[in-house]
Amino acid sequence: MKPVVDRLEQEYTGTVEFKVYDVDKSQEGAELMRSYGAQYVPTFVFLNSDGSEAGRLVGEVAENDMKAQLDVLR
Amino acid sequence: MGQRQWVVWAIAAVAVVGLGVLLFSPAGGGAQDVSPERSAELVAEGVRVIDVRTPGEYEMSHIERAENVPMNRLAQAATNWDRDEPLLVYCTTGARSGDAVRYLADQGFANVYHLAAGIIAYQGAIVSGSDQVEIAEMPDDVVPGDGPVLLVFSTDW
Repeated sequence: MKPVVDRLEQEYTGTVEFKVYDVDKSQEGAELMRSYGAQYVPTFVFLNSDGSEAGRLVGEVAENDMKAQLDVLR
Repeated sequence: MGQRQWVVWAIAAVAVVGLGVLLFSPAGGGAQDVSPERSAELVAEGVRVIDVRTPGEYEMSHIERAENVPMNRLAQAATNWDRDEPLLVYCTTGARSGDAVRYLADQGFANVYHLAAGIIAYQGAIVSGSDQVEIAEMPDDVVPGDGPVLLVFSTDW
């Protein structure tokens, strides 16, 4: 999954900010994950500029499904 | 009974036993994929449950009675396990546990059940650590920001 995320992060540079947390090593990431009610990794939470959640995906996700979510963020 | 008849009967007996093993044992050398529904039944029946995710993932949520045996500790831990005891193995989506199940089957474990769809599809009782943590507010650097954000919660597995 990491290569997909890395590729998308490059592709969406300047458009969408990627914040990647290793929840085993990052206390901040683990707390943030809980605050979003996410229980499993990987979980992808897509946020609009106003902070509203546009969607989320869980598990091994196809690159196209990720793009579909990223493209509708505003 | 002549020697030839004896041989025929012996071959037939071996064939019948072999067929029985094939029909009534889990497929794939002692391992078989099971649905989330069947997994919940197995848990209710008392099967030993093995969670191969990381300790952090396990703390966040796990199937009731599950033991946390991360992938990097599985080989060592399994050396002392009863190879005839039924096991239900899972991870988040079935990717890591698929490797674990193949390993266990190769090691001679006879009854390994694999929750192939992962815990995200499981409908039985889940023990969740998120109920025990209260987060007062979001960190300042996350939302709202200057633009859209993708939060990725992962582990280094």
